[in-house]
Amino acid sequence: MTSWIISDLHLSAQRPAVTQAFLHWLEVEVAHAESLYILGDFFEVWVGDDVLNDVQHGAEFLPVVQALRKLSDGGVKLYFMHGNRDFLIGEDFAKASGLQLLTDPTLIQAGNRRILLSHGDALCTDDTAYQQFRSQVRNLQWQRAFLAQSLAARIAFAEQARNQSAQNKAVQPIDIMDVNQSAVEQLVIEYEYPEMLLHGHTHRPDVHALEIDNHRCQRWVLGDWHDTAVVCRLDDDAIQLVTLQLEE
Amino acid sequence: MVKLTTNFGDITIELYAEKAPITVANFISYVEKGFYDGVIFHRVINDFMVQGGGFDVNMKQKATDATIKNEADNGLSNDKYTLAMARTMVPDSASAQFFINVKDNDFLNFTSATTQGWGYCVFGKVVEGTEVVDKIKAVPTTNRGGHQDVPVEPVIIEKAVVVA
Repeated sequence: MTSWIISDLHLSAQRPAVTQAFLHWLEVEVAHAESLYILGDFFEVWVGDDVLNDVQHGAEFLPVVQALRKLSDGGVKLYFMHGNRDFLIGEDFAKASGLQLLTDPTLIQAGNRRILLSHGDALCTDDTAYQQFRSQVRNLQWQRAFLAQSLAARIAFAEQARNQSAQNKAVQPIDIMDVNQSAVEQLVIEYEYPEMLLHGHTHRPDVHALEIDNHRCQRWVLGDWHDTAVVCRLDDDAIQLVTLQLEE
Repeated sequence: MVKLTTNFGDITIELYAEKAPITVANFISYVEKGFYDGVIFHRVINDFMVQGGGFDVNMKQKATDATIKNEADNGLSNDKYTLAMARTMVPDSASAQFFINVKDNDFLNFTSATTQGWGYCVFGKVVEGTEVVDKIKAVPTTNRGGHQDVPVEPVIIEKAVVVA
């Protein structure tokens, strides 16, 4: 049986073609599969699960929720890990979509491989400003206070945070936005040298060979979804990065 | 009916011309001009479906006629051994490629006249040679020509003919 691991779709009403392509891909590749792991930044922005109940702002998400639910009802196991865009995905969304939330990182066993799954943003430790922001917004108290605000206020905040992030990216050196090598090594050691670390976030799909304390480990990086997408396909006897053509 | 002679044996297909008139006429037109002769089943997924009708043995895609209207709202279901048209994410985009369901694939059925809900148009059913389909669905597959799930040894439609 086949499982798929994806990340960084950044689904939004501004890019309907990506959503269409994703929903089509679910039908033709995932509906008959064993499981689907979504490793964060599935949505471009998520301001709280109650958006699903909002007629105006929730409409764009409903086809996605329904499609996931259809898969899950059909027996596909769905897993979701938060990214830096959709860290507010909660149990209501999970229940509506029929998926299970995973903590970051999560270790899975695939055949004789142990694979450590992560979104990847926590590994970008060179970006200290972002790490500061991250520890703030991942704090449960902060989240509770944020979710207590009106939907309109949250949407405005998210808009501002996104503009800020875009500005920061424009002025920062490129390297700072990649993972930090010693953060990677620390994580691999902490999880007792899994054969693979697999993450998204950086939008730099690749396979990197590592050797840590005489243990061989590979770091696999997924790609984002634009005209193409780079996803991971896991079969009983093989694992590979697959490039999907999303345009017509 | 249409008979597909493959290197795994013969498959006879009953066509639902009343329920899927455009799709059946389209399929027969490809059959009659010999389009499918020498074409392979290039996407084979056990427990899902076997898809063919678009590539030659060298995984070269054949030029097709115009795309057709999706008739998936005809009440037919993607049940085991039915044939349906393959397509892109655009509902009305089927041309020559078709697939044989090798199990009941309910999630491929029409649910609404929207991009998401159109589903895949069933237009026929295997009435003889289901054991041939069972053999094909179990062949080993690999990556080839940028495609996944391609049979290692080609599964070839040697000839497709309309039979009485």
